[in-house]
Amino acid sequence: MSNLDKSTALSLLRQMMVIRDFEETADKLCLRGKVPGGMHNSSGQEAVAVGTLSAIAKDDVIATTHRSHHHTLAKGYSAKSVMAELFTKATGISHGRGGSMHLAEVTEGHFGGNGIVGAGVGIAMGAALGIQHIGDKKIAVGFVGDGGMNTGRTWESINMASIWKLPLIILVDNNQYAVETFVGRVTGGGDLAKRASGFGLPAYNIDGQDVLEVRKYVTEARERALAGEGPTFINALTYRYYGHNVGEKGQYRTQEEIAQWRTTQDPIDKFTGVVISSGFATQAEVDELRASVRKEIDEAVAYAESSPEPEIASITQGVDSGKLGVQL
Amino acid sequence: MEEIFVPALGMAMDNAMLLEWLKQPGDTVNAGDVVAVIETDKTTLDLPAETSGVLGKHRYAANEEVPAGNTIAVVLAPGEVE
Repeated sequence: MSNLDKSTALSLLRQMMVIRDFEETADKLCLRGKVPGGMHNSSGQEAVAVGTLSAIAKDDVIATTHRSHHHTLAKGYSAKSVMAELFTKATGISHGRGGSMHLAEVTEGHFGGNGIVGAGVGIAMGAALGIQHIGDKKIAVGFVGDGGMNTGRTWESINMASIWKLPLIILVDNNQYAVETFVGRVTGGGDLAKRASGFGLPAYNIDGQDVLEVRKYVTEARERALAGEGPTFINALTYRYYGHNVGEKGQYRTQEEIAQWRTTQDPIDKFTGVVISSGFATQAEVDELRASVRKEIDEAVAYAESSPEPEIASITQGVDSGKLGVQL
Repeated sequence: MEEIFVPALGMAMDNAMLLEWLKQPGDTVNAGDVVAVIETDKTTLDLPAETSGVLGKHRYAANEEVPAGNTIAVVLAPGEVE
């Protein structure tokens, strides 16, 4: 924390606030039928996204999960372009083709969210293999949830990354529930870092509610990857405040458990405390920051609502390379 | 003023049937009280109030179809009018 400067601190705080406000706003719009296909709310998991994305370079690759709004916003995409994608509008990050679950911009290293449990690590491992083959000075991050920790493909990918020393970070965005299943009930051995270390790579269990801790571990892992020393496994313990999907009734955990995480482990509250105690901002300035975020999200909703639907005539764009002559 | 509305659930939910009103206009409601019961193509669902106050008008009748996302009633805080 000693090398944390004011502008970085305020940027980290603001990004987490943007994600929280975005998600809570989008959740309400989804219940009103404005978001085709539903969405997965990442409120509570802001520090994992912001800590990770703030520690990697703009052209590093990420591949994520079904819950990817926070990763996408933290990668630097505007609330406008992400909200417009949720509304499947032409101005969205995926040009209205993807919606909430398929936010992607492959030309800029965002290899997308997807609907397959544990797929993010495999996709990122492939990207890391390509990076190594070409000899680029960049890395790939594969996000995976705790549910994806019990899929074969995830561990096949980790094994290959280990033996080939690929520039990969496996980042477990561990919100503790695979839909309705508590991670503690389904983790043989009980310790994910210990399981990963059996594949011969450095593996850590860290506090995913502490943005600086996430940032520190990812910074070190990236340096290792760039130095040719191979992949790192980081299991960031976090918590989601809402259901697996919007509108879920959520009878598999208690309201008391949710309240406990919200009141004692909230990543934004915790980091606000750091910002104020370090003298980077007063409470009044933090409140102003929150108000500016509120305005930004309101503008994002207005932008999404007023944006055009994709043109029917453009429906074949992105289906192929453009060289096959696919026509309606 | 809290709007009680039919939530859009699932991939392609268009309408719900308003099965029953459990609170009448002018009734006092407490946060958590079920105000109405609806039926979607998959399930029946209780719609609770999240705040306490007085229930406003019924905007739909029992056994009427309600488009997903539409408000069926509001809960008025002291001093508020519909």
